[in-house]
Amino acid sequence: MKENSADDFDSLFVKKRYGLKIFLIVFCLAVLSLTGVYAYLSIGAVRDRMQLAKTQAEGSVVDASLIDLMKEKAWVESRLKMAAGDSIGLSIDLEQHTIQMELKGLVVMKSKIQDCSTSGFFKRMDGNVYFTMFGTPMTILRYVSSIEKNPFKVIHAPKTKTAAEIKAEENAPLTASKTPVPKDSLPKENVFWTMKLDRDIDLNIQGIDSLAISQSKYKFGKGIEFKRDLNNIVKSIPRILKLQKPNYTPEILISIPENDAKAILRALPKKPLVTIRI
Amino acid sequence: MIRNFFIYLLILVVGAAFFTAMVLFAIPALEESAIVLPAMTEVPVAGSGNDADRKSIQQDIDKLQAKLDKYIPIQPYIVINTSDNHFYLYKDRLLVRDGMCSTGKNEKLVSAESKKEYTFHTPQGVRKVQRKQPNPVWAKPNWAFVEEGLPIPPPGDASRFESGTLGAYKLEIGDGFMIHGTIYKRFMGLSVTHGCVRLGDDDLEVVYNTLVIGSKVYIY
Repeated sequence: MKENSADDFDSLFVKKRYGLKIFLIVFCLAVLSLTGVYAYLSIGAVRDRMQLAKTQAEGSVVDASLIDLMKEKAWVESRLKMAAGDSIGLSIDLEQHTIQMELKGLVVMKSKIQDCSTSGFFKRMDGNVYFTMFGTPMTILRYVSSIEKNPFKVIHAPKTKTAAEIKAEENAPLTASKTPVPKDSLPKENVFWTMKLDRDIDLNIQGIDSLAISQSKYKFGKGIEFKRDLNNIVKSIPRILKLQKPNYTPEILISIPENDAKAILRALPKKPLVTIRI
Repeated sequence: MIRNFFIYLLILVVGAAFFTAMVLFAIPALEESAIVLPAMTEVPVAGSGNDADRKSIQQDIDKLQAKLDKYIPIQPYIVINTSDNHFYLYKDRLLVRDGMCSTGKNEKLVSAESKKEYTFHTPQGVRKVQRKQPNPVWAKPNWAFVEEGLPIPPPGDASRFESGTLGAYKLEIGDGFMIHGTIYKRFMGLSVTHGCVRLGDDDLEVVYNTLVIGSKVYIY
């Protein structure tokens, strides 16, 4: 009886260790396969988008040795088209690292791009795809921003005073004005916004005072990059669970000084034109 | 038993952390990588562009740039940044002065009785100087009375006219908007106006003397 009990105990122990091993193997395989499927479908989505862009691109093959000149031509031509309109437009030159607002062809504001990153999609573009995407101005379809675009305060006027009240006020002794001096602008906050362009590109602009701040914002999960990545993952997971490719939108992220970012966001009309040179 | 529980938990946590790290960092990095993304052009064409092509494209660029340059006014002009409350004055296409200004406070005033709304903001876009006047007299619009809770006087009433409030000069830029001076100098650089652009005395004098009728006013 005693011996049997000891055997039972040992066998139980062995079974438990065996169970742990199986669990470990199955779990690792599950995680690896899920990661593999996720990676396969995500990369597949980028490849599909590239294929679609290639199909949409028309014209003869662009000579690679002339591509820089042709990019320059497309850039000036596109800005000229923008100048024909009478609303404020945005032109972004990633080659010169500048972002500028233009109004009737005049550069009214210019800012240095402190940091930028573009999706791999743009790095693998050929001339035809480039000119199909950036050859003419694009339109911003919608904005999503961390601050209000046009903050308007509603003030209710005081009730109209009677003649007697006005006279009483006039006769009252003069006292120092107690009107407080309004504080400038808004409190310090993360300024970033995403613009959806009509050629299925996301343009993200974030205001930073230094590159280090931008990176720490990412680290602490407050910056645009973290929110964007998290948002993409949340959107992708239901499709991946159904073994479908997630939606992929190539992105451009630009970091500029916070005041300039605010000025641009507030100055741009609802559906402005954007010209980009990469 | 407890030890096994912690082992299982540890495996779960490590697995979840691995998956999260892959999804957050490794896979997005892979998506950007040239290793997994093929170039869109299978056969790169280079060297076929001759000097004639290059010259022709360069000529096109020069022509387009010349057209674009024509949009920059030859006359003096002013650019107003309503976000930073800053102005930039240009003459002969060169910046000759810049400084603080005050622009619209972005407010909607709702009158107590008539429920009428007045919007106080500086309109963005391009305008032109339509009229210039020294020693202007301010003809107070209805909102000036509504704002103070005063009864609205009839048009032309003496209570509507006020001297000195607009400073030494005014430049009308259309739709009742003006560039003018102010007696409220402590508010300079803030968004406090009812839509007009206020300048300090010295800046106003330079702007008044530089801009001519028809000069463009770019507001963003």
